[in-house]
Amino acid sequence: MTEYDVPGGRSATEGLPGRERRSDGAARAVPRHVACVMDGNGRWAQRRSLPRTAGHQAAEATVIDIIEAARSAGVEWLSLYAFSTENWNRPGAEVDYLMRLVRRVVRKHAPLLLARGIRCRFTGAADPRIPHGLARDFDDLAMLTGDNRGMTLTVAFDHGGRRDIVEATRALILSGTPADEVTERLFAEYLPFPDTPDVDLVIRTSGEQRISNFMLWKVAYSEWVFPEVLWPDFRASDFLACLHAYQRRARRFGGLPSQTNGDPR
Amino acid sequence: MTTGTTGPAGTGTPRPAGVPPLFGPDSQFHAFFDDPRWALAMIRATVLEAAHPQIGAALVDNSTFLAHPWRRLRNTFLSMRRMFGDDPAAREREAARLNRLHARMSGSDARGRSYDAMDRAARAWVVATLFESAVTMCRFSGQPLDQDTMEQMYAEYRAFLAALDGDSSELPDELDDFWRYFDRIVETRLENTEAARVILYRLFDHLPAPALLDGAPTLWAAGRAVVGPVLGAITVASLPEPYRRRAGLPEMPGAQTLMQGAYLAAGLARFLPDGWLNAGSVIELLSLSPGSDDPRARTVAALRGRMKRASALLRLLTPLGDDLAPDPAPAAGAGEDRRSAEEFFHQVLDQTGDGHLDWPDLAAMARELSTRLDLDEPEETRLYDAFAAWWRELQTALDTDGDGRVSAQEYAAAVPSLAGAALIRVAEVLFDATDKDGSGTIDAEEHRNLFRTAFHRDLATTGGAYGRSAFVSDFLSFMSARRTSTPYDPLLADA
Repeated sequence: MTEYDVPGGRSATEGLPGRERRSDGAARAVPRHVACVMDGNGRWAQRRSLPRTAGHQAAEATVIDIIEAARSAGVEWLSLYAFSTENWNRPGAEVDYLMRLVRRVVRKHAPLLLARGIRCRFTGAADPRIPHGLARDFDDLAMLTGDNRGMTLTVAFDHGGRRDIVEATRALILSGTPADEVTERLFAEYLPFPDTPDVDLVIRTSGEQRISNFMLWKVAYSEWVFPEVLWPDFRASDFLACLHAYQRRARRFGGLPSQTNGDPR
Repeated sequence: MTTGTTGPAGTGTPRPAGVPPLFGPDSQFHAFFDDPRWALAMIRATVLEAAHPQIGAALVDNSTFLAHPWRRLRNTFLSMRRMFGDDPAAREREAARLNRLHARMSGSDARGRSYDAMDRAARAWVVATLFESAVTMCRFSGQPLDQDTMEQMYAEYRAFLAALDGDSSELPDELDDFWRYFDRIVETRLENTEAARVILYRLFDHLPAPALLDGAPTLWAAGRAVVGPVLGAITVASLPEPYRRRAGLPEMPGAQTLMQGAYLAAGLARFLPDGWLNAGSVIELLSLSPGSDDPRARTVAALRGRMKRASALLRLLTPLGDDLAPDPAPAAGAGEDRRSAEEFFHQVLDQTGDGHLDWPDLAAMARELSTRLDLDEPEETRLYDAFAAWWRELQTALDTDGDGRVSAQEYAAAVPSLAGAALIRVAEVLFDATDKDGSGTIDAEEHRNLFRTAFHRDLATTGGAYGRSAFVSDFLSFMSARRTSTPYDPLLADA
């Protein structure tokens, strides 16, 4: 499965050997912050004539696989886009099922995440429609793994990029900051989890090529790859292939000299 | 503080020649200060106090001990220490503060009898219960006081009443007459008041965890389920027989033995080395909130964090009963930094813990704030007035059924826009009262007086000071938008 290794024509450096563009000549580092848009569960199930819910169930194995792959590849921050604010518009039964599934997954894998030293956090998760028990499990897991020093796993649950920006703006206004003091850096401090670095690499499975309101602020300079594989079929090897695709690209941050994300800009 | 565990009075420590001091480190009061038997004796004294119809009514209406017992305990402790301390000026000031505080408490009980916290006879009874409980705790633990010590201690408590009331004429001059006075009140005046029942049966069953143990609600609830009824039984058994009969309190087999055993065990603490027990540090530890900058706080925070994580893991590992069961609980508290209207109502607004919001709740907030800031007149009155204006605003906006108070339902239904002009005024008055030097900003020292912690790092401070607009907007967002903002939590929400 290599058809997405160099996703057609989307890279600015297409055709150029990545290493030669780097001034230091070193192999590109592993991306610091990788985000996955877990797309294609429904289609995966439909292709097998299964109910859509079976696709979500199959996604669980991939999630665990990818977390482990990212951790051992040296990714420091992994974000998973689990459920968007727009997903509330799906049929009620499917939403219900998803909520129960997520709860079961969270509870099942909590000890593993703790043992692996992974710090888990949840953004969004503020909607009153989220069942009380699930919200408490989120809180518990975040609390349980809060002191872990390994990879940070951010699960964007009930997340909307625009809403984050609107809420940050609201907080900024409420704090009474004078207009001329507002900078990009200051603004970023009002977004949820301000310690999270910008996203370096976004992987959206199933070949869909949309942003879908995902972490809008943080993906400003991200590289994107769009593997054709559906999320339940996505495996550690595919994930590593995406990391390689990223490492072959040269990032220019809108014309600036190449620079590693996380350096002061 | 000299020592609490040596020389329990029964051994007849020789007093220095001349008149022994009534206050200060050499007094009998101080000899008992760190005694763990006090924990039991204080509960007993409080029940006897609360059984007095006047005091009981005042307690039920005004006291925060049900919802915020630890804060209340700490305030009482500090106040007693000032009253029995060496410094006459501090004593005078504390007495004036207590008098102002009590002058604001009056009303009428459920049967329409009026009460007044300044009533001299009632105040004498409070002092009498403290003295009698101190004597009784020594009897129960098998180390009775000799006559001289008892008389000395009686003189101290009368001096305490005199410092508070101007004179001590409400208590008999002689110890002999005191016992007659005490028995008469017990037999004729005391009733099975609501306040006494609340202390005996509700307080320990619902005792909220102190800030220190807040992270382990399961552990706390389990311990409380065992200890609560035991404490209740011990206290009932220690009350005077005539009162138990009048109030219809149960006689349980073995309760007497249990009670005496508990007092005896607590009395054994006298064999511990000096300085092992220090009431002051125990109370400080209980009211230590983990965010504070106290050197012990880091250890406490680590311990608390570990307990919180352990209980989180426990919850996560507990198998779900029925995967398909609908979640009956409303999606409250889903966000990390928001709390539900109901939680806010019970933790912050309903200070007296009676399930309703009315003036005594807001008065209790004003009382807590002015105690922390150690306010004198006229700042204190200004703060109370601001709270009174806020109460009128709340009442107008929220009391939909017109019963003069706001219920949790009324509050939740309104999902209120609390940030009216009067609340802003409260914030401004509080800012002025906190800003003692009138510099227009709250510096680190002033901040510590109010919140008992240094600046929180999340706080939008500029140049090491906290400006008026930031203070007001933080206060408003705490009070109205129901954000749990860490600096304000220890102020009004901690138990």
